[in-house]
Amino acid sequence: MSENTNYVELRHVNKHYGDFHASKDINIRIPKGKLVALLGPSGSGKTTILRMIAGLEHPDSGEILIDGKVVNDVPGSERGIGFVFQSYALFRYMTVYDNIAFGLRVKKTPESEIKERVAELMKLIGCEGLEKRYPSQLSGGQRQRVAFARALAPNPQILLLDEPFAAIDAKVRLELRTWLRDMINRIGITSIFVTHDQDEAIEVADEIIVTNLGRVEQVGTPPELYTNPATRFVVNFIGNSIPVKNYDSFRHFEGKGKDSEAILRPEFISIFKKGENVQYSESAEEGVVEDIIFRGTNLEIRVRFHGNLLSATRSINAPNIQVGEIVKVFIHRLFVIDGENVTMKYNQSLREESVII
Amino acid sequence: MELRKNNGPLKWCMITLVVVFLAVFLLLPLVYIVITALSKGIDAYISSITDEYAVKAAWLTIRATFWAVLINTIFGIAAAWCLTKFAFKGKKLISTFIDLPVTVSPIIAGLIYVLTFGRQSFLYPILDGWGVQVIFAVPGIILATIFVTFPFISRELIPVLTAQGTDEEEAAALMGAGTFTIFRKVTLPHIKWALLYGVVLCTARAMGEFGAVSVLSGHLRGKTNTLPLYIELLYQGYDFTGAFAASSILVILAVVVLVLRLWIEHRGQKDLDIDK
Repeated sequence: MSENTNYVELRHVNKHYGDFHASKDINIRIPKGKLVALLGPSGSGKTTILRMIAGLEHPDSGEILIDGKVVNDVPGSERGIGFVFQSYALFRYMTVYDNIAFGLRVKKTPESEIKERVAELMKLIGCEGLEKRYPSQLSGGQRQRVAFARALAPNPQILLLDEPFAAIDAKVRLELRTWLRDMINRIGITSIFVTHDQDEAIEVADEIIVTNLGRVEQVGTPPELYTNPATRFVVNFIGNSIPVKNYDSFRHFEGKGKDSEAILRPEFISIFKKGENVQYSESAEEGVVEDIIFRGTNLEIRVRFHGNLLSATRSINAPNIQVGEIVKVFIHRLFVIDGENVTMKYNQSLREESVII
Repeated sequence: MELRKNNGPLKWCMITLVVVFLAVFLLLPLVYIVITALSKGIDAYISSITDEYAVKAAWLTIRATFWAVLINTIFGIAAAWCLTKFAFKGKKLISTFIDLPVTVSPIIAGLIYVLTFGRQSFLYPILDGWGVQVIFAVPGIILATIFVTFPFISRELIPVLTAQGTDEEEAAALMGAGTFTIFRKVTLPHIKWALLYGVVLCTARAMGEFGAVSVLSGHLRGKTNTLPLYIELLYQGYDFTGAFAASSILVILAVVVLVLRLWIEHRGQKDLDIDK
């Protein structure tokens, strides 16, 4: 039980920078062995949380626990953490070998053991033969791997990564994401990484902590955040969001609360030609195509629907649609926003059909 | 880069201007120093620079320079370190104060110390009780030299340390390295060339200081006369050969410093390749 829960825990943590309230009553629990993302826009307080866990910042109030012990007064170097900085912070006047060996040398590890450990890590990150290079002689991806190896060298219990992919160009980034995920899963180390990129968090993390304005908005697995966003912020931040103000005028969505604000997702919308014989054609309403964008794997169709500009995707194999064409639009479901609360609302015709079946 | 290929008259005008300017204001006086120094023959020159008082003045200059550079190096590193690595109240104020010696006339610097350590000061009886004399003595000369060369080293280091940021130090600290290890292994390699450059500039300025030292020294021949003061003394006494001979020592020292500077810049440039 204790093996698998709450390896890192923050209880009622607050942090100010001058007048700026960077962390507001943060309560989070991170299970052992999990890869967790702190996701939020810049200035949302995610890096502050990470730096407090690392001991680089100190909370004004509240407790930070690692493995059941309060570590507020334990220096970062004794918390058993490895830290990968956004800029990697490799020691630029040391070779790759010396960089990775640094943490071990500080701990007075015998040189023969250091040699073994560095060789092992170089193999792990697939950078054998680069030991004598300086950081400036490495590519962005190699630097990231070396930073990762350096953080792992002293066998930490927790790995903290601050925007680990921010400094890498887009193509290498995708490759490194997969690499890092595999690597962390293989080692089985509890890892927390900060990112502002929702795709990155969704693809890499087991669990996501969404932060906004110094607060934790929601904690959940990527599918949970997609299907059950808890707050207005999360529903807007995760996934593609199309706000509409008059969903109650949509067919089969009649009957509403006091507000008629809702968020649609492209994947909640189906578009088909008027003659097309598909499942929901009876319950669909008409819309006018305003724009068609070729996205490679599919087409993005922008359609005017009850005064709203919606965007939906359509297979490139489906019958051709022209700009200006009147098409059928079917909304499967949407998120109704009522103040801060979010509820899912289904197209009522779906329910009727399921009743019939 | 059309502008650079331009071989028109503008380019030659500019080059001529710079060359003429340097020649008139720099080279000509330097050559004149050498000629005047040697005008009464090589023997007169040698006897001028081996004169007891000349040697003592040169020695005092070197001593004052050594202490000033040493103290300013320690202070400069400490000041640059605390201004770039920590956030605290009054940081801007300290940063401004460090630059004060550049904006204040050296004469005023000398007078400040006369007021602080002179007979009318409350510090005087205390220091006198310990047998320490500041004014019209070597400590005063060193103090004045320190004052005028105060910002040289920290000003060289601050931009380098700012550009480096604190990430590498934080990374080292998180791995458990102590402050001294961090400084020696992470910070020092980074600031090495800037520091040496600052030391060279500081040395050059310290050797030539006249104003502040003049106020504090009391001009005691063979005791508190530095080279620049000695030169002035000879010059006022119409001993042009002696004055210019002594000047030539300072010129030689300046050339040495200049060569050092070139070498440091060259080496520093090589290291910059490591720097990304």
